[in-house]
Amino acid sequence: MKSQEVDPARTPVEPTTGQYLEPMAQPGYYPGYSTLGQQAFWDAATRRVVRRRVQEVPPIRFFTPAEARLMQAVLDRVLPQDDRDEDHKIPLLPRIDEKLYYNRIDGYRYEDMPPYRESHRLGLVAIDNIAAHLHRQHFVELGAREQEEVLQSIQSGNPPAAGEIWKIMSPQRYWSQLLHDALEAYYSHPYAWDEIGYGGPAYPRPYFRLERGEPEPWEVREQRYSWAPPPLSISGEYTAHDLSHPEVGRPTGGAGGTH
Amino acid sequence: MSDLRALWRSGRLWNSPLGGAFEPPKAGDHMLGPIEKVDCPGRRYREDEEVDAVIVGLGAGGGVMLQRLAKAGFKVVGLEAGPFWDTERDWVSDEAGSHQLYWNDLRITGGSNPLTLGENNSGQGVGGSTVHWAAFAPRFHPSDFRVYSEDGVGADWPISYWDLKPYYALMERELPVSGPAYFPWGDPHGYPYGPHPTTGVPDVLVKGCTALGIPVSAGGPVAINAGAHNDRPHCIYRGFCIQGCKVGAKFSTLVVHVPDALRHGAEIRDRCMVARVNMGKDGLASGVTYFDADRREHEQKARLVIVCGYAIETPRLLLNSACPGFENGLADSSGTLGKYLMAQAGNVVLGRFPELIRMYKGPPANSLTEHFYETDPRRDFARGFAVQTVAPLPIAFAKQMATALNAWGWGMRRVMMDYNHWATLGVLGEILPWADNTVTLAEEKDSFGLPVAKVTFNLHDNDKKLMHFARQKVEEIMWAAGAEQVVQEPRYAHLVGAARMGSDPRCSVVDGFLQSHDIANLFIADGSVLPTQGSANPGLTIMALAARTADYVTAERENILARKRGSRHAPPMRHDLSPQGTAGHGVPRLKGLAPGKKDPLRTRI
Repeated sequence: MKSQEVDPARTPVEPTTGQYLEPMAQPGYYPGYSTLGQQAFWDAATRRVVRRRVQEVPPIRFFTPAEARLMQAVLDRVLPQDDRDEDHKIPLLPRIDEKLYYNRIDGYRYEDMPPYRESHRLGLVAIDNIAAHLHRQHFVELGAREQEEVLQSIQSGNPPAAGEIWKIMSPQRYWSQLLHDALEAYYSHPYAWDEIGYGGPAYPRPYFRLERGEPEPWEVREQRYSWAPPPLSISGEYTAHDLSHPEVGRPTGGAGGTH
Repeated sequence: MSDLRALWRSGRLWNSPLGGAFEPPKAGDHMLGPIEKVDCPGRRYREDEEVDAVIVGLGAGGGVMLQRLAKAGFKVVGLEAGPFWDTERDWVSDEAGSHQLYWNDLRITGGSNPLTLGENNSGQGVGGSTVHWAAFAPRFHPSDFRVYSEDGVGADWPISYWDLKPYYALMERELPVSGPAYFPWGDPHGYPYGPHPTTGVPDVLVKGCTALGIPVSAGGPVAINAGAHNDRPHCIYRGFCIQGCKVGAKFSTLVVHVPDALRHGAEIRDRCMVARVNMGKDGLASGVTYFDADRREHEQKARLVIVCGYAIETPRLLLNSACPGFENGLADSSGTLGKYLMAQAGNVVLGRFPELIRMYKGPPANSLTEHFYETDPRRDFARGFAVQTVAPLPIAFAKQMATALNAWGWGMRRVMMDYNHWATLGVLGEILPWADNTVTLAEEKDSFGLPVAKVTFNLHDNDKKLMHFARQKVEEIMWAAGAEQVVQEPRYAHLVGAARMGSDPRCSVVDGFLQSHDIANLFIADGSVLPTQGSANPGLTIMALAARTADYVTAERENILARKRGSRHAPPMRHDLSPQGTAGHGVPRLKGLAPGKKDPLRTRI
């Protein structure tokens, strides 16, 4: 990889050699697997919905241009895609914008949260406030590592600025809303299904191989390779929260409490 | 060889169905699954015509009531807030594309342990939540009906297990339920259709339980066809149960009871939101006011109003129907309407395995154990829990990882690449009924100007101890099955209570026949009437109660249509009211245990 494209806070590495990895058309352990390649076996209604998701990227209608720029930078860290080449990045911002434009709520609102649209707008203001508080810069101007630190302060429930906003909006609930919206946009996309080896739509053609995690004839066997998050990134460190194996002692864990 | 492989990889071998293209449904056919068609006649009853019964909400309870009353010859209209699904056109084999199946209108959720609503537990559309339930269909145990007597907590039911038992057996044939020939817990019984094959996650549960000496039921009980049944094909193991079963193999009232109701003259009006139950000067219900799909207001007069809106919308409707003489809401002289709301503890325990699981294959509901269901004096809490298979699709799994691992960013991408290595098991734990777990009216209003529901939920000491114990037990099972990493996500499943039944009108809303204590021609036939919830999925029990109430209304037809109370005697059971071809023979006839007798096979850990 050309050195000017490498950013130790953005580019994943091969962990033993420390070599930076090139962006790929299809990251993940199922090379050559394509759910879209199976669409002749799907029913018409499903084909229509999934094709539209891939081919028709909705315009930005809810966010202002400035908000959209900030939200894009946030999403680039919430669910980074630096390992994907430009042709195979999954559009997250347009999906979330569309959901907000139509105000498609999920059927409820927590009593300690403002309405859906308002909370997304407030969250962006708060993120920029934290960036200014920590680095005297806008969030979009920060390096990836500094951006992650801003987001982690919300994720961990201890944002160091924007106190007025957090008085009317729970940081953890805002974080969940932001992350969940990003996850829905990413893991509803066939490229993500190919990445994780998920079978995708299965009607009317059924599954035949139900036992021992065997692949269907049109699925691909897992072919693992070794990779690690960018050396300067902090969002790859989730293992700190694991329940460890019983032989080395088992803390009570997970997120704790309830949601 | 490599040429063959290249051909295979190219997709050319697989890019068209071997038998030709699939035929889309013909114009004008309303499809319920790939084979079953239904005639959807328009209006049967005039705008000003008084019908015998109007049913509000066509889910588990409402669907069964509509079918039973139509077949018994009542003039009946069903009003449903959501659409009348055509499963071939409206449903997709896609996780994100199935969002429309849920109740997505605004509700406020709060309390010290707020419940997630929407896709987690509430449906909208003909069939209600039965279109997106996972279809576990266990019975409640005899002890569930006597929780206060046996444990000094919760409440007793006004009926016993033995009152409901024949209706459980009837429903198991109507749905039908697939499961083992001998199901050892509660009142032991067998199932009419054979168990399903196990897939990755059920294998984990069976392996873990077996290693620990915990008995386990594999392949059921689930209301999913193990063989073709009428015009419903058998399961094809595609794993989209909670996205709506396009195959029609999974039971819903949409594909079983609704077509039979239409054949017998029921009228269904979909996309109709009921605003209030109207009261006459005689202190009896006179019908309902509702908004149609074009937001026009209508009144439907009826001699009998049956509310089946489930645990949130039923109390909301009755609270929104407050009027002179019923200032706090209808049927609330006891002050218990909207109280004693329950959800089950639904902690999900996730284990990563060195081998591949591919949990998206096969119905998420497959295997379970009720070994920990009953109160065990050696534990420090009352009642118990079940352990069941769950198998989230990628988006739901990613959200669980966000909570269980605090994963985001690169960590989320990395753990999701291991999706096929994870298996998930769910606790289904009994949370007791508490007066401070409520459905009330919020200040916010919906698009019709009706106040929305506010749901308040708090865990109490017994609930917390139970959840802690249950979670640890499921983690043990996961380790014993060979997991190399185990995490958990706390959550809740199902919603019941908030309009509970009881024999004492001073502390309950309806009686054992689901007839309101206060208003003789108002019935509630849904999950909101449950006084306690056990550790069993509530669907089968809701439908058994509705079928029993339908028999009661039919037997007491003259009194009830004259808006009087019935005799309060158990009615004769009407086997002839089952949908055509569903109540056959061929079920193992296990002799039921006498009330109070312990099952010699039952052991406790």
